[in-house]
Amino acid sequence: MEMEKLTSAEKSAYIKAFTAMVLGRTLDKKIVNAQRQGRVGFYTPTMGQEATQVGLSMSLGREDFIYGYYRDVSLLLHRGAPMEAIINQIMGNSKDVEKGRQMPSHFSYKGVNFMSVPSPVGTNLPLAVGSAYAFKLRKEKGVVVATFGDGATSTPDFHVAMNMAAVFHVPVVFVCENNGWAISLPVEKQTETEIYKKADAYGMKGILVDGNNFLEMYKTCTEAVNNVRSGGGPVLIEARSYRMGAHSTSDDPTKYRKDEVKEGDAKDPLIIAEKILKDLNIGDDKLVEKIKAEAQRIVDAKFQECEKIPPPEPITAFQEVYSKNTWMLDEEVGDILD
Amino acid sequence: MVQALNRALNDIMAKNPSVVILGEDVGVDGGVFRVTDGLISKFGPERVIDTPLAEIGIVGMSIGMAISGLRPIPEIQFQDFIYTAMDQIINQMAKIRYRSGGEYTCPVVLRAPYGGGVKGGLYHSQSGETYFAHTAGLIVVTPSTPTDAIGLLYSAIDGNDPVIFLEPKRLYRSVKEDVPDNVPKVPIGKAKIIREGDELSIITYGPMVPTVVSTVQKNNINADVIDLRTLVPMDRDAIIGSVKKTGRVVIVHEAPRTLGLGSEIAALVAERAIDSLLAPVIRVTGPDSPFPYRYEDYYVPNEKRIMKAIKRVTEEA
Repeated sequence: MEMEKLTSAEKSAYIKAFTAMVLGRTLDKKIVNAQRQGRVGFYTPTMGQEATQVGLSMSLGREDFIYGYYRDVSLLLHRGAPMEAIINQIMGNSKDVEKGRQMPSHFSYKGVNFMSVPSPVGTNLPLAVGSAYAFKLRKEKGVVVATFGDGATSTPDFHVAMNMAAVFHVPVVFVCENNGWAISLPVEKQTETEIYKKADAYGMKGILVDGNNFLEMYKTCTEAVNNVRSGGGPVLIEARSYRMGAHSTSDDPTKYRKDEVKEGDAKDPLIIAEKILKDLNIGDDKLVEKIKAEAQRIVDAKFQECEKIPPPEPITAFQEVYSKNTWMLDEEVGDILD
Repeated sequence: MVQALNRALNDIMAKNPSVVILGEDVGVDGGVFRVTDGLISKFGPERVIDTPLAEIGIVGMSIGMAISGLRPIPEIQFQDFIYTAMDQIINQMAKIRYRSGGEYTCPVVLRAPYGGGVKGGLYHSQSGETYFAHTAGLIVVTPSTPTDAIGLLYSAIDGNDPVIFLEPKRLYRSVKEDVPDNVPKVPIGKAKIIREGDELSIITYGPMVPTVVSTVQKNNINADVIDLRTLVPMDRDAIIGSVKKTGRVVIVHEAPRTLGLGSEIAALVAERAIDSLLAPVIRVTGPDSPFPYRYEDYYVPNEKRIMKAIKRVTEEA
């Protein structure tokens, strides 16, 4: 890697990025383990996508609005969502902003402009175009980011959103977190083209980037986001990484693949990030170990803390369907809770 | 009714700069039924948006716009074309508030012409209100008069919930009335008792209202005629109050019978007023078939079929 003169702001930004990646990884493993012990109902591991998410997040501002997807744990952490918010959602406890209504991994956190995640993949993309249209109409500075997996690129919503974003020339950044798998279907069996090349057909720029390398990701996204922000129209970024974990805690990947990238391999985004810090003389083994130990301590403590939080009251499961409950729902709930 | 809707949209857009209209041919062309005629020249193409042909995008973008603070009024050219966007409607629009713990809301007013009457065959005539009514999180309304169209649209745009605004296309140009200068809001969830009578209650809505009214007038039927106006949430008190008074019920709608709104109304009556019933509840509806092109008149409930039902419930001891 070429040696660069780094400002102290850059140095601390890179350390912050590495820290968020380590926190994401540590939290991920903690939740997967807790699920196996029956302490968590379900989870979609994010291991392997930390660099993609953190590099993207580094390129964004507070005013930007995110339509994320169910693996964006490291993105949330780097963007400043409190770890408790993630764990509370996973647990569906009384401090979960979604009040235990959604399955684990379907995060929502308005504090960092992260819109609640639905399960049907790709369906957030047209919404991102609509939000970007609103930003453009009001001449606001923000851009809208939609993240999604490779699986989402086969949906009609992907096509429609790409087309409309280009037609309306709105400030939206589509980021495909291509982890190689739509549950059991490898990306080679999902499409006959490379994903970033699809942008061409819609009249927007398509960019391929190494999603395992947070610095590459940061630099590429920064340039792309700035261009979108200055009115250059939408962009599609394909970040290639690897889904190191199972699709979800209910999935057994040994049925359809041999794990090609394992934790600690040369392609592991955390190993790459460690190397970057060392090459740039920002950190050494001691710092890396310190960050990892601190992450473990934080994750353990937060997890323990959140596990003590009681569940929400049952009635919250039947509220906020409308701005005001209908008489039908009031009556039905009255019967259920009687 | 087209003019009334156009007037209301003009009014709403002038008052609130956050309101945008989007859909196929709604701008330069003014909509295939002319409901949005002239709006683009007044409010510009940024607020009256001609979209590419993709209902997923029209509905999906509207949801995103609403989340980000606009007040979108998308138009689906024919309600029949909405089905590709049902995932957006059911899984996104209806659930935004709920699933985000109230942090985000989705005040979209989705307009769509529905029902027969224009010789549109299978794909320009459907009455799909049940699909929306069955999804928690959606308000469903349908006016039967120009004045109600304005009043309901005002309420829909002032609310904070997604509204499916179904416009009976048969009535677009066939119903005319003098619309007052200041139309009050029609509250969501309030039915209108169009005529009062003692012998039976006829419960209907949308495109069937004028048919029911003319049938009742022509045959001197002594009936309560209830125009629901809001399908979800339905005006329980208006229905039950009337049934308790008359003891006889005919429900008229154009949508197919099985699990049409009539099923819900009949169940409501059975649960709350069965002791008052003097005769079986009878539904006069479209048949459980696709909507035919050539024999449209056979499909849509008419005076003859409504009278048959009225006779059946009134002649019952």
